[in-house]
Amino acid sequence: MREERDEMLDRIVEELKTLPAVPPDATARVLARVDAARRGEGPSAYASQDDDDVIFFPTSTEEMRASPAVGQSVHTPASKGESRTAGRFRRRFVVSLPAAIGYAVAATLAGFLIRGALPRQTTTDTITAASPSGTNDTLGARATLTRVAVSRRDLQEAPVTVQFVLDARRAKSVAVVGDFNSWDGSKTPLQRDSATGVWSALVDVHPGRHVYAFLVDGSIWTLDPNAPRTKDADYGTDQSVMIVGVP
Amino acid sequence: MRTVRHSWRLAGLGIVLLSLGAVGTASAQQPAALDSATLAAIAPIVAQARSARLPLDPLYARAREGQLRKVPVPTIEAAVRALAERMQTANEALAPNPSEQELRAAADAIKVGIPVETLRAMRKAGKDGSLAVPLGVLTQLVARGVPVEKASMQIVDLLQRGAVPRNFIALEESVRQDVLAGRRPDESLDLRLKGIIPNLPQQATADGLTATSGPKRPR
Repeated sequence: MREERDEMLDRIVEELKTLPAVPPDATARVLARVDAARRGEGPSAYASQDDDDVIFFPTSTEEMRASPAVGQSVHTPASKGESRTAGRFRRRFVVSLPAAIGYAVAATLAGFLIRGALPRQTTTDTITAASPSGTNDTLGARATLTRVAVSRRDLQEAPVTVQFVLDARRAKSVAVVGDFNSWDGSKTPLQRDSATGVWSALVDVHPGRHVYAFLVDGSIWTLDPNAPRTKDADYGTDQSVMIVGVP
Repeated sequence: MRTVRHSWRLAGLGIVLLSLGAVGTASAQQPAALDSATLAAIAPIVAQARSARLPLDPLYARAREGQLRKVPVPTIEAAVRALAERMQTANEALAPNPSEQELRAAADAIKVGIPVETLRAMRKAGKDGSLAVPLGVLTQLVARGVPVEKASMQIVDLLQRGAVPRNFIALEESVRQDVLAGRRPDESLDLRLKGIIPNLPQQATADGLTATSGPKRPR
């Protein structure tokens, strides 16, 4: 082992002897050059030929001798690679103002999207609806079934289809308005049954207590004759009431 | 130079995407066709509700109802403000994470006089289930004439016993039929509870007492 190490050192020394001689002031000149470049007083030691191209470095000893500004002592192949890496590292992490604006805007947008996409509340206790795992080839059908986790509250608040009915044979149009459709008269028009003249519509409504009314011919407020009523103290008006849920 | 151009392109793309996102958010939260006077009147209330992370749709819906009924703008503003305050109260009472449906229902309950303590007791008793239907039934019982304290106590007790929305729906429908038949609402409630309670899971209450020990007043 000892002999092998000595042989290796000898070989390294022999290799180093083949390199060109380093002038005594070369290191000092390189350091001065780099310092000047950092202060913006001269061409950078990392100056490249083109704005977006790789950094230019002398690649041979001849080039090194012809380029005293860079200095002959630093550009062995290994140090060249390190310098290129350092130069790229610098260039990659210098962020211009427009790029910073872009990143900030993109991050803000991502925040909006995530905030809008996520539910307002999260519950840890969930009901897992697990369909049979694996496959079923009995009927020639092959289906992959997955586990779906839904919170108990989400299940209980899933919309229920409700039918609104109003017997208004002389009406030209009927719509239902309520807190479930933001009191928008154009959202839920009722359809007239030509045989009976009765107007009806199916609406998906979240479970709970809701107030509503019918708008006949666009302006006539009509309460549901089959539903209880309540008085709205704020607006001084009567409303129909329904409790929606799965019985 | 290429890097600078690329950066400007990135900035432009970000701005365009942000604009699209903002438009989408606005259209999802704000119903169309509110006139400018109403919008201006409720804008500070909406801004405050937004900062409190309350759902905005109920506020816009309330304003739209007033506009549809041709109510004066100051009246609309007062109604929207009152709703926002009730929702804020409900949001605190039903913490930590009430759903929009629960907030709507709780705001209605507060409007008919249900105390905040009852909301807290319902949240505790209802665990992770939705309170939208129990709150709606409670509100309707009170609106029918059942005393607030009696109705609150019975609804909290049902939740503690493990009642689910269909139990509350059945109770409300039964009381409705009884009232139509001429029975007093509070009498009907007592009567119909006797038919519902034996079919409940009879869970232990949050206090560690069994549900069979009878209804307890919400704290």
